Amino acid sequence: MRERMADPILTVPTGSGTAFERWRERHLRILMLAPTLLLLAGLTLFPTVYMLTAAVQNVSPDPDVPREFVGLGNFARMLTDPELHVAVRNTVVFTVVAVTLEFLLGLGLALLFDKYIRRLNFLKTILLVPMMIPPIAVALTWKLIYQPQFGVLNELMFRLGLPSQAWAGDVNLAMATIIAADVWEWTPFIFLLMLAGLASLPSEPYEAAQVDGASAWRQFWDLTVPFLKPVIAIALLLRIMDALRLFDLVFILTVGGPAGATETLSLYIFKVAFTFVDIGYAAAISLVVLFATVGFSTWFIKRMRLAD
Amino acid sequence: MATRAWHRTREAIFRMLAYAVMAIALFITTFPVYWLATNSFKLDIDIFAVPPVWFEFSPTLKHYEAAFIGQPFLIYALNSLIIAVATTIVSLIFGTMAGYALARFHYPGRWRYQISFWILSTRMMPPIVTIIPLFIFFNFFNLLNTRLAVVVAYTAFNLPFVTWMMKSYFQDLPPELEEAAMVDGDTRWGAFVRVALPLARPGIVATAIFSLILAWNEFLLALILTQTDRSMTLPVGISGRVTQYTTHWGEISAAGFLASLPIIIFALIVQRHLVRGMSFGAVKG
Amino acid sequence: MVRKFCLALAVAASALAISASAWADITILVPSGSEGDGLRAAAADYAKLKGTKVEIVQAPYANVFEKAANAGQTKSGAFDIVLMDDPWIPFFAENGHLENLDAYFAKMGVPGPDNDFLGKSLAVCRNPYNTGPFVCIPYVGNAQLFFYDGAKFAEAGVSGAPATWDDVYKAAKAITDAGGGRFYGYVFRGGQGNNVVADFMPLLWSYGANLFNADRTKVTLDTKEAKDAMTMFMTLKGISPKGVESFGPEDVGRAMTSGIAASSINWPNWVATFEDPSQSQVVGKISYAPMPAGTHAGSSEIGHWTMGIMSAAKNKQEAFDFMAWATSPEQIKISATRGNPPVRFSVFTDSELTSQPQFRHYPTLMQAINFSTPRPRHPKWPEIENALGIELSKAVAGTESPDQALANAQTAIEKIAGISQ
Repeated sequence: MRERMADPILTVPTGSGTAFERWRERHLRILMLAPTLLLLAGLTLFPTVYMLTAAVQNVSPDPDVPREFVGLGNFARMLTDPELHVAVRNTVVFTVVAVTLEFLLGLGLALLFDKYIRRLNFLKTILLVPMMIPPIAVALTWKLIYQPQFGVLNELMFRLGLPSQAWAGDVNLAMATIIAADVWEWTPFIFLLMLAGLASLPSEPYEAAQVDGASAWRQFWDLTVPFLKPVIAIALLLRIMDALRLFDLVFILTVGGPAGATETLSLYIFKVAFTFVDIGYAAAISLVVLFATVGFSTWFIKRMRLAD
Repeated sequence: MATRAWHRTREAIFRMLAYAVMAIALFITTFPVYWLATNSFKLDIDIFAVPPVWFEFSPTLKHYEAAFIGQPFLIYALNSLIIAVATTIVSLIFGTMAGYALARFHYPGRWRYQISFWILSTRMMPPIVTIIPLFIFFNFFNLLNTRLAVVVAYTAFNLPFVTWMMKSYFQDLPPELEEAAMVDGDTRWGAFVRVALPLARPGIVATAIFSLILAWNEFLLALILTQTDRSMTLPVGISGRVTQYTTHWGEISAAGFLASLPIIIFALIVQRHLVRGMSFGAVKG
Repeated sequence: MVRKFCLALAVAASALAISASAWADITILVPSGSEGDGLRAAAADYAKLKGTKVEIVQAPYANVFEKAANAGQTKSGAFDIVLMDDPWIPFFAENGHLENLDAYFAKMGVPGPDNDFLGKSLAVCRNPYNTGPFVCIPYVGNAQLFFYDGAKFAEAGVSGAPATWDDVYKAAKAITDAGGGRFYGYVFRGGQGNNVVADFMPLLWSYGANLFNADRTKVTLDTKEAKDAMTMFMTLKGISPKGVESFGPEDVGRAMTSGIAASSINWPNWVATFEDPSQSQVVGKISYAPMPAGTHAGSSEIGHWTMGIMSAAKNKQEAFDFMAWATSPEQIKISATRGNPPVRFSVFTDSELTSQPQFRHYPTLMQAINFSTPRPRHPKWPEIENALGIELSKAVAGTESPDQALANAQTAIEKIAGISQ
């Protein structure tokens, strides 16, 4: 349908309007893109160059010590850095588990809401509240809830006759507590996107399927899922990109502990860059993270056929 | 008609189950918010009571007084408001134009995809390491500790999302109305401003909400770019109440609770746009 | 209408966003919290008195170091004075971020800060420790205290201040055993990183061990003394509440205020909280003592806030004048009334203060400072602390045996410090 406007620039009646209007119309495409492209280029160019140069240098915290070219030395260091490996593993586990849970819960809730509760609009807004609270306040509130002695969660366990837990202090549960808080905060995001997707479904194919006697389950798999695929893809992509950057929750709930159980990539990069002030190494790790993220996203977008 | 009766019963059971699941979801969603809100009215002794105090505590406004009169949280809130509104407006203007250009114009080869993907990929930079160059960058222009620097940084951070949202929205709008306007003698720009933009209003509102949430709540960039009351935002102010020795839970809850209200109220006002305004090409199949 | 309103709002917000940075004579980076608030108030007094405009930049405690290091490394000159936690001093001094203050003292006609400052307080401000030139002036005097519930300890068979860690264990074990999982005799900061290290160091010292030998050529966690300290540390962990593996000073303090735990190491700022009925259920019950002894005399960790001038500072002389004024006896006394422990003998012993209940811990605190030890003085301390913090956290969480944790910490720290065996 869009293709009918093959080259809308040419549809402009040339010769009409002021000289400025004619100039504007001729260059409209680039003029409309320019502010965004220039701002993004301006703000990413310098950091990228800075990162690329720092990554191959040994940068001393002492400004008077000249930077020393170390080639791929910083990258080689990554291979033998056990703390980094723990951080990578934890980040992958966190991203996979948290985003999967958020997706399943968000989609499930959206389906229920769409089918049964559609008219109660304010309920929808209430379900969205977690993502509107400052993440720092969210993290601190969860810290109180998880607190083993005064926290409500252990009080709840006690009332249910279950043994109390150390939560963030338990090496086996710490990651789960971070994931739970993240799922609480960001499932609403997926929920909203899925609702939007469901609201824009066409009704004809479903009517046809009904006539054919297809079960609700079949309709879901054969119609809803394919229709929703673009929304699902973009929702997952945005969440994965954010999950890879997880910082606030870990920084406040566990600072990477206990025993490294919640050490994540961004926490580790933060420590290397700001606590150890080892800018070269931090840049090298960040560069690898950036390439991995861009590579994954390219693959994912192709796979989901998001591009057009 | 046994099957029909069975059908109806099954439907009723499903409906009850759906309500039950929703009730649980609502409880889990609201409980931490309730806890945050009530903690802001509790004395510390009640925040740390064993067993926890659910309803019966003598409410106090002490923490609100401490945060908003004792500490400059009012100023932080004003900074946050100015920064969030300015960011949202600028990124919506830029992003809507870019989204429209990407949705409607013709591009040679795979340029449409390349440009779109590059815009999105700027958001994949690990923010922690871009902070140092950004600090040097803004210091060079003597813009550290100004609200302008924060707005510029947030706008850049927001643009990929805004551009993508608006691109999808425009792609799902039928182009015929714009064509008709141009046949009637309007310019391409005129068709965008007078025809496409009004049609895209739900999309703009929904995008604005996300942009507001991000700019209102962002922490890491604000931490490095702001320094004093002149530019410091609410999240940085809140984290400042976690001190070396102790955490001022009451003040944090008070500021956190009040800070969430404007966004929630705004979301309630525009809630009918929230779902309608988001389109990701679902109908394209 | 709505459109016009939005437009007006947009214009207003954009206009407000562009506000030029104001001009100040000196800019000081401080942590949020009582130190920052105190110095902010002092700066306001100074501005009124001398007409010098002092700007206070506040950052959350967790981010002061990074802001200062960032400014130092980029030579940005954003800050003239930085209020530093004392373990950071070697990093800033040995990386050329700090101004040597000797010349400024010479200009004043004195060799250095006067002798009213406590010896240990001055020692941290010299780099190398206690012998090098002055790179800062102490401002807030902190050292860990040992807090305990005297009545509960007496009931458990230890009356008066516990003299040794064995006494602490004896009383604490009895309290934990009788507590039925609700009350505990001891609580500590077990959170990975700075937390667990802060509560481990005093034990290490009171068993005669340390991280390095005197000239920093050897890491000494493989000694018998270090193992003894570790054994006591883990023994105490055994009687501590569930979840200490993630505790920070906040959790430890609240466990005390709510009466869950009967003793702990913590910073003196908690004295005021323990006595505040709106925050504490143990008003009047908590006593404090210097650090208990192990096989050697007990020693607490010093945690001073000190003011140094950045090398890239724009107004160094004015900055020094302010520092000299703010650390004078009169100003340190005012600072004490604003909730920041002093660094001067005359203020610690000022009867006008010590007669008031909120300052009754001053004699004990002064004694603790006099018997304190600084964290190992090394420019890579942040990295060392991180490595040690991870291994201690593994021991506390039980994923590694205490001996293994010490051995791994030994190797990791040798690598960071560039010491080959």
